[in-house]
Amino acid sequence: MTDQPHETHERWILGTELIWAFGVGVLVAATISVIVFTALTLNINPPSNVERVDPKTLHLSGEFSEQNLGTLVAADGTVTARIIATQFTFVPHCIALPRGRPVTLRLASPDVIHGILITGTNVNTMVVPGYVAQVHTEFTQSGELLMPCHEYCGLGHSEMWAGVQVLSAAEFKPDGDGRVSCAQR
Amino acid sequence: MPVDQPRPAHNPLEESDHIDDAALNVVLRTVPLGAAVLAGSAVALVVLGYLAIYLLIFLPRGVVG
Repeated sequence: MTDQPHETHERWILGTELIWAFGVGVLVAATISVIVFTALTLNINPPSNVERVDPKTLHLSGEFSEQNLGTLVAADGTVTARIIATQFTFVPHCIALPRGRPVTLRLASPDVIHGILITGTNVNTMVVPGYVAQVHTEFTQSGELLMPCHEYCGLGHSEMWAGVQVLSAAEFKPDGDGRVSCAQR
Repeated sequence: MPVDQPRPAHNPLEESDHIDDAALNVVLRTVPLGAAVLAGSAVALVVLGYLAIYLLIFLPRGVVG
């Protein structure tokens, strides 16, 4: 007789734990749903690109040779910025990009692992030697943004940053070769 | 026996619990509700923070991929 209330309470406690487990399951499902919804409807995804590049010859030839760095507007109007992240600077040190147009950032490292983010935007990626890091984005506001290295890369890490100039359509004027740089302003 | 040692009859570990079934039932009746309120409040705060960052910071920052 005396065990009856205990059993009743134990069943009640078990019931609350099951309800809690169900609630946690609902929250996990809701979180995953938000991620999938954002990816499918708003096209916001974690940057993902598996593309090899030889870090030993990065600066000698090919896409990331010195004359090919910076912002380039192709004949079809696509905007691509190519940037080298190296201890302890970015080349070029300032990147000019348009507002309200899709842009592609392509980064590579010849030495160690770096990382970038652009303040006030969702741009955020690692830059791993041997791979090309690629981020697609579209800037919604003009202005000067900071692009620091966010992956500790050595004693000079805290000095490693670049500027991003987001320009309006009137200011974003490619030269004859389709190049745009901060120095043109 | 050293003088600064408590006698066995005064050692709290040696004393038996004096909890009867009625008192235990009262405690068992209120414990799950308190735990649910505490854990629910904590999780609700975390979810509200997540939604605030998602709606007010993440989405306005625009497209990335």
